Amino acid sequence: MLIVEICMGTCCHLMGAQDLLDVLDALPADQRRLIEFKGVTCFKNCGKGPSVKINGNFLANATPELLFEVLQTNLQ
Amino acid sequence: MPEINEISKIRRKVLTELAQMTFEGRLHSDVENILHTVVTEEGPRYRCCVHKERAVLQDRVKSALSQPMDISMTEAAAAALAGVVSDSPIIQVLPVACDQCPLDRFIVTDACRNCLAHSCIASCPKKAISVVANRSFIDKTKCVECGLCKRSCPYGAIIEISRPCERACELGAIAADKARKAVIDYSLCVHCGACKMACPFGAISDRSMIVQVIQQIKAGRRVYALLAPAFIGQFGIQVRPGQVLASLKKVGFHDTLEVSVGADAVAVEEAREFIERNREPKGQVMTTSCCPAFVGMVEKHLPTMKDNISSLVSPMVAAAMDVKKNDPEGIVVFIGPCIAKKSEAQRYPGIVDFVLTFEELATLIVGAGVNVTEMDAGSFASAGSKDGNIFARAGGVLQAVQNVLSQLAPDVELQAERCEGLGNCKKCLQEIEAGKRNTNLFEGMACTGGCVGGPGVLTDSRITTKLVENFAGASLEKSAVANPKSEELIKLGLHRPHEQHKDSPAD
Repeated sequence: MLIVEICMGTCCHLMGAQDLLDVLDALPADQRRLIEFKGVTCFKNCGKGPSVKINGNFLANATPELLFEVLQTNLQ
Repeated sequence: MPEINEISKIRRKVLTELAQMTFEGRLHSDVENILHTVVTEEGPRYRCCVHKERAVLQDRVKSALSQPMDISMTEAAAAALAGVVSDSPIIQVLPVACDQCPLDRFIVTDACRNCLAHSCIASCPKKAISVVANRSFIDKTKCVECGLCKRSCPYGAIIEISRPCERACELGAIAADKARKAVIDYSLCVHCGACKMACPFGAISDRSMIVQVIQQIKAGRRVYALLAPAFIGQFGIQVRPGQVLASLKKVGFHDTLEVSVGADAVAVEEAREFIERNREPKGQVMTTSCCPAFVGMVEKHLPTMKDNISSLVSPMVAAAMDVKKNDPEGIVVFIGPCIAKKSEAQRYPGIVDFVLTFEELATLIVGAGVNVTEMDAGSFASAGSKDGNIFARAGGVLQAVQNVLSQLAPDVELQAERCEGLGNCKKCLQEIEAGKRNTNLFEGMACTGGCVGGPGVLTDSRITTKLVENFAGASLEKSAVANPKSEELIKLGLHRPHEQHKDSPAD
């Protein structure tokens, strides 16, 4: 199980956190099943958002493309 | 709202930093730091070099401060802090940022086969086409961009390219000058923001009054936030309306009021005007008046139909009048999805003091160090009715007025129609004027999806539309007619004053 925490705080929201959620929703069902999504209100890393944690590993300045790549690597 | 792109990110970073510096009282001394925090030496790089990028950024900062481009950033910061708002247009092309799109309108592609017929050469009235390197070649010094060659080519090998800003403007208000820089014709522009959203270089910007608003808050004035009904879901799908209100309180707004209350009053009064206009059997078409870009389009592009616009002020103005009646010293800040509202507000000095977009509000909140998602939701019920709240989405105004009509005059003959997009609205109204359509009530919305699709939103309009619908359905007040606030506002006199109803000096 891959734990994906995405910051939904206002700062990250401004920088496109919603687009990251869409990445999770667009995954094929068999991959989506392996992911546990957690919405977080702040990682205290504002200014480098959007911020994501994947199994505890921090990903700053996340973009949909970057997140997708990291997810694919972790799901392999 | 499409995916958040780099242009949005840069704009939001600039606004957030300006807001933060203003709250912390260091804007005047530190404003130039933005040149190093937003554009870093490491990149990413979008222009030729870091210097150009910083020159563009300076323009962005001055626009964000509502200051002219020909003063220094420090001077601009001082002026904004002093509350000065330049009389430059609401939307402008940032001089350095416009990349002078080097587009030749007609281009011969690889599909050219250098055929024997050479219909392109034959079609060109200016003899601008010859064969070079086994392919047709258009001499740009002779080409007058008539497009005959494109139409003549049997292979479709000549393509037409247009500038994104020009293509986005359905009113033909933006074009390249001789130096290929985009220039806005303000006699045609209605500040809808379509060109701003379309420009891939982020070279078109609306000016912001975020610093001036923060200064009012810091000065201890009673600053009222008037929230447009499209605010639902703007700060995240999970965010509760009560959290937005709590955030506004925390950053220092004195009180927050919903514009949906003004919308209720407008719906009722607009329905009454419709009944009045249709007393005669052959009534005349009446259009809604709440979308300022739509109203501007009729005034500037279909002046003969000016009197068909309902005489009502917009819900923004109605709600603002209510605030000023109760607190004449209060400062009114309208917060919505719209850029054109900034222009509309200029027509109502002393009533609507400032206009911010949702995007600007979010940067103000972040700049104040507040996180909406960490606020208590509390209990919240809309003061507006279902009718007023659905103004936020396309078709909502029409539906609200129809609801009122069904209660006040169920027998009135109604031929309702609506359009989204200024080009569509214009075309439809022209057909109505020509008698080709049997419409007597028309809703015009400049943005696709209505207000939720405006240029100042933070969330995809399809999602917001659903959230608006749910929120409106949960309103305790079931209709605009039943909302006791409606009559109270109508007593303020919600008809547009004609003497004030001239173009703003910026136009």
